[in-house]
Amino acid sequence: MSEALVAALNPSMFWEYRAVLLQGLAFNGYVFAAAAALALSVGLAAALARVNRARPFRWIGTVYVETFRNAPDYIMVVWVHFVLPLLLGAVLGRRIEFPPFVSAVIALGFVYSGYFAETFRAGIQSIPTGQIEAGRACGMSDRLILWRIVLPQVVRRMLPEAINQFVSLFKATTIVSLIAVPDLMYRVSMVLQQEMKPLPLYTGAALTYFVVIYLVSSLVRVVSERWRSKVY
Amino acid sequence: MGNWERLVWNQRGVLLQGLAVTVEICLIAFAVALLGGLTLCLIRMYVKPLRPLAIVLIEFFRATPIFVQLMWVTYVWPEVFGWPDAFFTAGWVALGLQSSGYLAETLRAGIEAVPRGHREAGYSVGMSPVMVFVRIVAPQALLTVAPSIVNQFTVIVKSSTLVSVITVQDLMFQALKLVNVWYEPIEILTVVAILYILFVFSLSQAGKSLADLLRRRYGLAAA
Repeated sequence: MSEALVAALNPSMFWEYRAVLLQGLAFNGYVFAAAAALALSVGLAAALARVNRARPFRWIGTVYVETFRNAPDYIMVVWVHFVLPLLLGAVLGRRIEFPPFVSAVIALGFVYSGYFAETFRAGIQSIPTGQIEAGRACGMSDRLILWRIVLPQVVRRMLPEAINQFVSLFKATTIVSLIAVPDLMYRVSMVLQQEMKPLPLYTGAALTYFVVIYLVSSLVRVVSERWRSKVY
Repeated sequence: MGNWERLVWNQRGVLLQGLAVTVEICLIAFAVALLGGLTLCLIRMYVKPLRPLAIVLIEFFRATPIFVQLMWVTYVWPEVFGWPDAFFTAGWVALGLQSSGYLAETLRAGIEAVPRGHREAGYSVGMSPVMVFVRIVAPQALLTVAPSIVNQFTVIVKSSTLVSVITVQDLMFQALKLVNVWYEPIEILTVVAILYILFVFSLSQAGKSLADLLRRRYGLAAA
C-alpha cells in the first residue's frame, strides 16, 4: 500500500505531460468563460421576466428557471449535443451538427442561467420599491432605472452567492470531456490509454483542480469582499 | 407516436430498472454523506488535534469536481487501498464524499447558530457536555439545516447521472445504451431528461415545504 501511495503522490508522470494537460485546463477556462457569459445574460433576462408586472412573463420565467435549475448538467450536455441539432435540423430542413465545444457552452450556459436567475431575482426584489419610484419621479425610463439604480446594487448584493455559482460552473466544466471537448479530464483519459497508469494521472488531475479552484475562489472572495465593503 | 411507443414505452422496464438503481445509489450516497458530514463536522469543531486534517478533507471534497472525484475513487483508490472493488461501490463512495464536505459545513453553520446561552443553561442545570449536545444543540441545529440537507440530496441526484460513465446501470446509463442500440436519441433522451427534471423538482419542492413547515411550527428563519 505504501508503495502505491508514493506512486500516487509522485508527480513525475503528471509533470511529464504538463504541456498537454495544462492546455486542457485552458479549455476548462474557455468553456467556463463562454458559459458564464451566456448564463449571466440569459439569467438576467429570466429574472426580469420573473419580476415582470405581466403575469404571462412571470409564468414563463418560473417554468424556465425551475426546468433548468432542476436539470442534471450531464443529461443537458448530452441532450444539447445529440438531440438539439436533430430538432433544429428538422425545423430548418438541413443537417446540423454542433461542435462539442458549442454544445458544452450552450448546455452549461442554460443550466446555470437558471441558478443565476434566482440570484438576480433575490437581488432585484431586495431593492426598495421607493428607489424605483424615485427614479420614475425624475422621469427616468425603465431601462435607465434598471442600469443606474437596480443593477449596481444587485451586483454587489448577489456577489457572494454568484461566486459560489461560478465555482460550481467551473467544476461542471469537467464533464464536457464526456462529449470530447479536449479539457484536462479528456486529455488525462487520452494519456491513460497510452500509459495505463491511472494512479498518478487522476491524482494529479484531482490535485490540480483542487488547487486551482480553492486558490482562485478564495482569492476572488477576498477581493470581492474588499470591493463590497469599500463601495457601501 | 410510433417512435415514442417503440423507443420509450416499450423500453419502460429497462428505464425503470435504471431509475431504481439511481434511487438506490443516491440513497446510499446520501446516508454516507450524512454520516461522513457529521463526523467531519464534529472532528472539525471538537477534536482539536485532528482539526487541520478535517479542514483539508472538507475543502478537498468541496473544491474538487464530482466527475474528477468519481474517476479518482474508481481508478486510484483500488490501487492504494484495495477498495472499492465494484463500480457501484465506487459510485456511492464518490457521491457520498463530495456531499459530506458540503454537509459538514452546513451542519457546522447550524451548530454555530445555536445561541451560547442555551448551552450554558444546560451546563448550569448540571447536564454533561454530551447531553448538552444531544438534547440541546443537535435538535435545534438539525431543525435549522434540515432544508439545506434536503437540498444536498437533490445535488446528489443530479451528480448521480455521472456514475453511468463508470458503467453503473442507472437511468442515464440505460438511456445512453438505448440510444446506442437504436441511434435515435430524440425521444429517449428527451423523456429521460424530463424524468430527471421532474424527480429533482419534486425533491426541491419537498425541501421547500419542509422549510415552510419548520418555520411555521417552530418560528425558525430560513436556513
